[in-house]
Amino acid sequence: MKRHLTDARRTTLARACRSLALALSAVAMLAVTSCGYDATPLPRADESPVNQAAPGTPATCDAATATQSYAPDADAAQGQSLQRIRDRGYLVAGVAADNYLLGSRNPFSGKIEGFDIDMVNAIATAIFGEAQGSVQLRVITAADRIPLLQADEIDLVARNMTINCTRWQQIAFSAEYFRSGQKLLVRKGSGIKSIEDMAGKRACAPVGTTSIENIQAKAPEAIPVTATNDTGCLVKFQNGETDAITTDDTVLAGLAAQDPYALVLTKERLTEEPYGIGVNAQRGDLVKFINGVFERMRADGSWQASYDRWLKPSLLVDATQPTPVYGRRP
Amino acid sequence: MTQAQQAAATAPATATPSTAAGGTTGVPTPVTAPVARPTTRDVPRLLNRWQVVAVAACLLFAFLTAFLQVLGWQANRAAADNTEQLVRVQNIQSTLFRADALATTSFLVGGLEPPEQRQAYDEAIDQVTRLIADAAEAQPADREVLAALNAAVNRYTTTNTQARDNNRQGFPVGAEYLRGASNQLRAGVQPLMQALTDANSQRAEDELGAQNPLLVLLPGLAALAVLWWVNRNLSRVFQRLVNVGVAGAFVLVALLTLVAVTVSSSQDDGNSELRDGSYRVAVAEAEARTAANDAKSNESRRLGAQGSGAAFEEGWQAAAQRVQDNASADTRRLWQTYSGLHVRVVELEESGKYDEAVALATTVEPDGPTAALDAFDQASQAKVSSAAAAATDELRSGNSIFLVLAAITLLLGLGAAGLSTRGIAQRRREYA
Repeated sequence: MKRHLTDARRTTLARACRSLALALSAVAMLAVTSCGYDATPLPRADESPVNQAAPGTPATCDAATATQSYAPDADAAQGQSLQRIRDRGYLVAGVAADNYLLGSRNPFSGKIEGFDIDMVNAIATAIFGEAQGSVQLRVITAADRIPLLQADEIDLVARNMTINCTRWQQIAFSAEYFRSGQKLLVRKGSGIKSIEDMAGKRACAPVGTTSIENIQAKAPEAIPVTATNDTGCLVKFQNGETDAITTDDTVLAGLAAQDPYALVLTKERLTEEPYGIGVNAQRGDLVKFINGVFERMRADGSWQASYDRWLKPSLLVDATQPTPVYGRRP
Repeated sequence: MTQAQQAAATAPATATPSTAAGGTTGVPTPVTAPVARPTTRDVPRLLNRWQVVAVAACLLFAFLTAFLQVLGWQANRAAADNTEQLVRVQNIQSTLFRADALATTSFLVGGLEPPEQRQAYDEAIDQVTRLIADAAEAQPADREVLAALNAAVNRYTTTNTQARDNNRQGFPVGAEYLRGASNQLRAGVQPLMQALTDANSQRAEDELGAQNPLLVLLPGLAALAVLWWVNRNLSRVFQRLVNVGVAGAFVLVALLTLVAVTVSSSQDDGNSELRDGSYRVAVAEAEARTAANDAKSNESRRLGAQGSGAAFEEGWQAAAQRVQDNASADTRRLWQTYSGLHVRVVELEESGKYDEAVALATTVEPDGPTAALDAFDQASQAKVSSAAAAATDELRSGNSIFLVLAAITLLLGLGAAGLSTRGIAQRRREYA
């Protein structure tokens, strides 16, 4: 009887334990299932505006006189602007670091070099006797060129800058030191053979340049795409975000040299692009000084040597230093 | 109960009290102490009803209190898991910025980058990939964002690879790809990292604050009120102040409530200290580590921009402020070493000595800014790991007390229900 009672007690105890375990499980399940988290919200991608240029207004001034600059002057070397540069101890030049052959950083040496940089070094040499240690190169975008000159933050711009009347209203230019022209770079086998084939196609040019205005004038049905600089256009070209790049032939030669699938359409020049050194409008003495430097470069053959080193191997044409046009007065 | 008893019990309120319960023979029976006004109510039914109420109160108390204790256990576990996930996510972010700092600094060096820096970049990207996989495994709610992050990191590393490939061929377009990669990191990856950081810090802090002693108190108070009410009713009917069973249940529930509230309150205080202590240190130090690497990357981008790096210097200043605000005292000293060297780099560049500025920024010598930043990065990472481990260890150690308490509460809650039943059964026997 006693054993029977003990068994009954055991059974009751076991049942109680099972019930407790069940209750605990239920409580635990309830607790666990009540702790699910809402999914981490996926941030919405920024709806950035399409990187296309607004329609521009082509320059309408007289192209024939646009390249007129101030005649060299022996007294310019003693001018206020030159004195300021000497007092500072170095020349500050706005340049590109990504325009292969004109102004780009050599990945092996880390130095910026090219045809435009040779012009800067020649000017610095004329001021300080040697360029080494006398030049501060500031890498700027095309859009920065005029604002930085106007703010007098840099002494000059040597960055494949086209001389035109619109810009003369804002800054001053040296005499023309190179004659370039706008062309098209396309993908090999793309079927684009001339500007007429650009209808409905995307053409990239750096923001703030005349190139984007020119392509809109010549091919209104082309879709303009902009980048911060020429190499930015090459990245878009390689990533399929543009069908063509349109800018100066000097720049396109440098871009094509970096991409075996790129082809520069050499048949036609869309525009004439006379390059000048940009200077603050109030610093006519510096312009005159620079023009004197260019005259000496013509005489000593250093301009030709620079052209032959940087541009001739890619452009495959002989060229000489443009004849300067003077007559403009500060 | 006999028919006579039932009749007596259900008699109208005006019935004579002396014909009360127990009188089966019709002989008037003297009114005994336990039975007061029995004729006015259906006492057995009332007893049944009070028993149900008392038992239900005890069981509900036991179930709800145990439930809250299991929730407390679960919250601590989740807080530890979420803290680990937060630190993991922040580690992804810091490591990505470290990779970017390594890539941008390497690019400033003419020619091939030092092999150690390339190896460090590869290791950083490998670590990011592993951490993303770990994070997706650890928190299903993060998976969608982590998948987007994975894709964004792939784009970033692909662009960096294009940058390096072009650079190795001497093409300046490499530098443009590098700029694109850094921009992708900040514009594409950073918002995803921010979403992950925000979500996980919110989860961790919610769980750390999930201990609620007041809530634990409520079922106990309710059960005590019910038991007191039952006892009062019993005392009115049976003219005894205390029903031993119900009173036993009352004491049991009161004790369990006291223990539950004390433990919950103590855990709540502990979690508050943790939130303001090791948890905050881990989160802030991880933020400092990310900002420090962001600063180094901005220093390199500034030099890459050569004279036009004002925007990157602003980025450096903003990142430096984040380091100052978040770094612990130990690592802030190392940051100041780097910060002083950065000032020297800026002075060199601004005085026209660009080449010297680049040489100083890129040197791997121990007295250069790169080594100083590496020293900060390593110390900062160690600080994050130790603080996070301290936080999670504290959350996990001793957490099982909640489960033990839940089991005891259930068990003793059942016991309280049994005591109530027993106490009321005693009255029922007396009545019979």
